[in-house]
Amino acid sequence: MATTCNEDDHKLGKLEFSLLVPFPSSREASIALQSLSPDREPRKGGISKELSAAGNALSVKWTADEARILRVSVGSFLDHLALVLETMEEFGPPVTL
Amino acid sequence: MTVVIGFEGSANKIGVGIVRDGVVLSNPRRTYITPPGQGFLPSETAKHHRSVILTVLREALQQAGLKPADIDCVAYTKGPGMGAPLVTVAIVARTVAQLWGKPLLGVNHCIGHIEMGRLVTHANNPTVLYVSGGNTQVIAYSERRYRIFGETIDIAVGNCLDRFARVIKISNDPSPGYNIEQMAKRGKEYVELPYTVKGMDVSFSGILSYIEEAAHKMLGTGQCTAEDLCFSLQETLFAMLVEITERAMAHCNSQEVLIVGGVGCNLRLQEMMGVMCKERGARLFATDESFCIDNGAMIAQAGWEMFRSGHVTELSDSWITQRYRTDEVEVTWRD
Repeated sequence: MATTCNEDDHKLGKLEFSLLVPFPSSREASIALQSLSPDREPRKGGISKELSAAGNALSVKWTADEARILRVSVGSFLDHLALVLETMEEFGPPVTL
Repeated sequence: MTVVIGFEGSANKIGVGIVRDGVVLSNPRRTYITPPGQGFLPSETAKHHRSVILTVLREALQQAGLKPADIDCVAYTKGPGMGAPLVTVAIVARTVAQLWGKPLLGVNHCIGHIEMGRLVTHANNPTVLYVSGGNTQVIAYSERRYRIFGETIDIAVGNCLDRFARVIKISNDPSPGYNIEQMAKRGKEYVELPYTVKGMDVSFSGILSYIEEAAHKMLGTGQCTAEDLCFSLQETLFAMLVEITERAMAHCNSQEVLIVGGVGCNLRLQEMMGVMCKERGARLFATDESFCIDNGAMIAQAGWEMFRSGHVTELSDSWITQRYRTDEVEVTWRD
């Protein structure tokens, strides 16, 4: 898992956070993407989150106005990600389609 | 044969049930129980569900003696309910549906209660009283919708009972409502409370405020006992529910009543409803706590009906929703 955090986007004054999660295959990365992306952020403004899958990795990018809001969103995402990983471990591997 | 697995976790119960053509193969469940005086909050409830959901899922499969390959559809509660617990359960449902290569199906929680009640009791076309910690509705089926004839205009009847239990520190184990029911049996004096039926609707928040104040005043001075208050509260709330149910029956010319939802396993409510039904020559249908209280099989059963009539939910449309009214769902599986 690789993370970067940069606050150098001074013009916008926005915080950014990005996360890269490797999976055994692109299939698992796509399953995680589809399990984690349907629900929108509960908060209306001040934060946006973009999920995508490239190859066997899931990539998530946050943009937020405040560190406090960013922390809550990232924390809750990591909880959900861990639940997906545990579910895959226990009830996977995915069947061949 | 159609086998549907259902995931439920919209409040403080987490359940996974498997239904095959009207037969409940398994229905394990766990309840998040808080200390006396405390209610359950969204994030703690989600944490509880998260810690046990995979164990409950394993139990459901084991007890049914099925492998994932035997399942035809994965149903889960789309709403209504608390956001954080709903998301936790939906995430697992989405993940296993994809791992197993099965279609996913989002189910309205209220529809789950109604369809489970119909399956268990064989009620044909009942007027439904749906009473729980989060919902209070009188429902009748007409032209492809479960239509809401009357409902609470503020808090749910179960919420009124739960919050009263907190005020006088009644245990939440196994549930505050069950403990109030037991204490009410020992009540001797009826304490008069406001009675707030408004046409087809009911209101409970004023009754709660009134009895909270009465509890502080009267219990301290020994004017009445906690048992008397439990008894008085039940009698008042349930009389209101029986009244609006009877009125809905008269409107619909209905000769059947089905009680569903967690408060529906209260035997005093069933008894009072039974008296009304007898006077009208109607039949009462109710279920015990295994199916009245939130469970996975009810989501599987509603999912079974929906799946058989052609519904599925695309992953991109599988978001949960805290508000989801019973009459939003088109009932394509009934005439």
